[in-house]
Amino acid sequence: MAAKKKAASKKAATRKKAAAKKSAAKKSAGAASLTAQSSVREPANDVDLYGVMGVYDTPADAMHAAEKVRDAGYRRWDVHTPFPVHGMDDAMGMKPSKVGYFSFAGGATGYTVGMTMIYWMNAVDYQIVIGGKPMFSPFFAFPVSYECTILLAAFGTLLGMAFLNRLPRLHHPLLANKTFRAGATHDKFIVVIETTDPRYSETDTVDLLKSTGCKKIEFVEE
Amino acid sequence: MLIIQSNFKRAAMLLIAMLLLLGLGSPELEAAAHAKKGGEHGKASEHHKTDEGGHEKKESAHHGDSGHHGPVKSELTFVKKLRYSWLVAYMFFLSICLGCLFIVLLHHLFDAQWIVPIRRVCEHIACLIWFPMPLLALPFLLWPSGIYDWMLADPTTDHALKAVVKKWVFNPMGFYGFSAAVFLVLGYLARRLRYWSLQQDFAEAEDGEYEGKLDRIEKVITFFARFLLGHLFESRPSVRCSRMMNIHASYGIIMFVAMLTTACFAWVKALQYQWFSTMYGVYYFAGSVWVTCATVYMLMLLHQSQGILQYVIRRETYHDIAKLMFAFTVFYAYIHFSQYFLIWNAAIPEETFWYVQREKGSWWWIGQTIIFGHFFLPFLLLLRSDVKVNKSFMPLICIWAWLMHYLDMHFNIMPLIYPDGFTIYWTDFLAMGVIGGMLWSFYVKNLGRHPAYPQRDPRIAEAMGVYVEPEGGEPAH
Repeated sequence: MAAKKKAASKKAATRKKAAAKKSAAKKSAGAASLTAQSSVREPANDVDLYGVMGVYDTPADAMHAAEKVRDAGYRRWDVHTPFPVHGMDDAMGMKPSKVGYFSFAGGATGYTVGMTMIYWMNAVDYQIVIGGKPMFSPFFAFPVSYECTILLAAFGTLLGMAFLNRLPRLHHPLLANKTFRAGATHDKFIVVIETTDPRYSETDTVDLLKSTGCKKIEFVEE
Repeated sequence: MLIIQSNFKRAAMLLIAMLLLLGLGSPELEAAAHAKKGGEHGKASEHHKTDEGGHEKKESAHHGDSGHHGPVKSELTFVKKLRYSWLVAYMFFLSICLGCLFIVLLHHLFDAQWIVPIRRVCEHIACLIWFPMPLLALPFLLWPSGIYDWMLADPTTDHALKAVVKKWVFNPMGFYGFSAAVFLVLGYLARRLRYWSLQQDFAEAEDGEYEGKLDRIEKVITFFARFLLGHLFESRPSVRCSRMMNIHASYGIIMFVAMLTTACFAWVKALQYQWFSTMYGVYYFAGSVWVTCATVYMLMLLHQSQGILQYVIRRETYHDIAKLMFAFTVFYAYIHFSQYFLIWNAAIPEETFWYVQREKGSWWWIGQTIIFGHFFLPFLLLLRSDVKVNKSFMPLICIWAWLMHYLDMHFNIMPLIYPDGFTIYWTDFLAMGVIGGMLWSFYVKNLGRHPAYPQRDPRIAEAMGVYVEPEGGEPAH
């Protein structure tokens, strides 16, 4: 222990001198590493930009980046990963999807439609007594109503999802981007911040992505 | 605390002894003995008592209305009420034990890591099947004739008992054989699953008490399993424990299904042995797992607040068990509806009488309560994902689930002695208190004796949401 302390005090004495040198070295090394590690591909002039894209190699990196982007207060942005990353919803600060309301509305409609349809067919339009059963009973109408519930709930889900995602659309700027096409469904985790975001600025947004340790930043053309 | 517990247990034991004594002096037993003695007088009294065989033959045309003969009102003694209350409470708690065994089996069969933190809790509850569930079953196992009318019916004349299949089930040998099989098979399964789970806790600890010995049955099973899983005995002890649990789960799920069906057929459905329903076992199973999910949810909240499971249970664990509960809310409705629908559609008197009886008087309202309270209300509430993890709202749903499942058991059993309508008697509370208290004291004792969650399960870190770099070798991606 004593020996260690001595060594420590010796180190402290030389620290001042070393500090100045080190900080200088760090700065240059930092600058070098930044240029070496994170490449920023600048956009061509006179081209409308869709957004800026940060490419990450691991889900963890993308998740931490997403947290930073979320905390910076961005609204119009997204993360594209080859597979679902657990916890990404929270990292992005996303609220629960609203698709469920569409499913519920669809299901409720389906059930009502099924019941009403069978009531009208069996008890109003074409009455036949079968096995002494009443003309209408929710019991025999249930299986069909149930199927209608599932069918219309599925329609509600699909259409609700399409509506909320503004689908269908014929083209998306990201699909024209080579890096995105090669990586987003393969082995890259991509954060995209759109230019329409109120907080977007060419310098600040790129700096934000750089600060998350992003190695490849690219502007996406419209 | 300990003193209170042991006193409480002693009180519970005393109550049980009292109940057993009550059984001894029961008038049904005397009547049965009297009827069995034979002779003209005996036959007449049997006819009067059970009324089953002759009545059905004569009035087969009115079978639908009179196929069931709940005991006549004048016969309804205090002991009879107590026994029925006991059976309702027993079936209620049995469903929780069986449901927990099912969750343990599910965990091993599907390698479901989210169950790891609650596995020990479920194992302890499943182990209540052996012991003390057989002891608590004594009031209706020792004097079944006081509850089960078929015991007093004459199999040679009784219309329902003449069916070939029912002949094999509804005889004293069958009754005791099936009852014993339920406890032995499920008890063995639950205990061996817990044994290997506990061994796993010490499997790789230096100062552990790892034994990991195969019993005779396991030697036979592993002899065959060795051909399929050659690496069984070459692997690390903790993995080997997991393998043993997997092996038990593989045949166990089949045994579980068979024995659960046997239990609810022999003890509940046999109350009205004239009835037919192949859905009944699944029906009891669906309700059981549903109420078990609610119970486990409550235990998770309790144990986490106590600090026992503080660090292993996550928000996801609550979400997952609530999702399972939601699934079984729907499954229960599906099964119960199917049973009703088939019977309603076929409209055969041998089947419809069961529901006709349960639509009389205030039983009709209980049926409605079950439809809306057992299914619609929890279904609509549990639809939302944020409700499933709401720790102040979910307890209300869980308590509601207990209430609904109890009502469901009541609806299945009690119309026999209260044909005019829903009746709740103080013996119902007594039976629930005694059985529940007894099981709780056993559970607490077992929980205190062992680690509260599997310490060295290979999946525990994953379940806790922690990533652990594997020792040596290639790092996982």
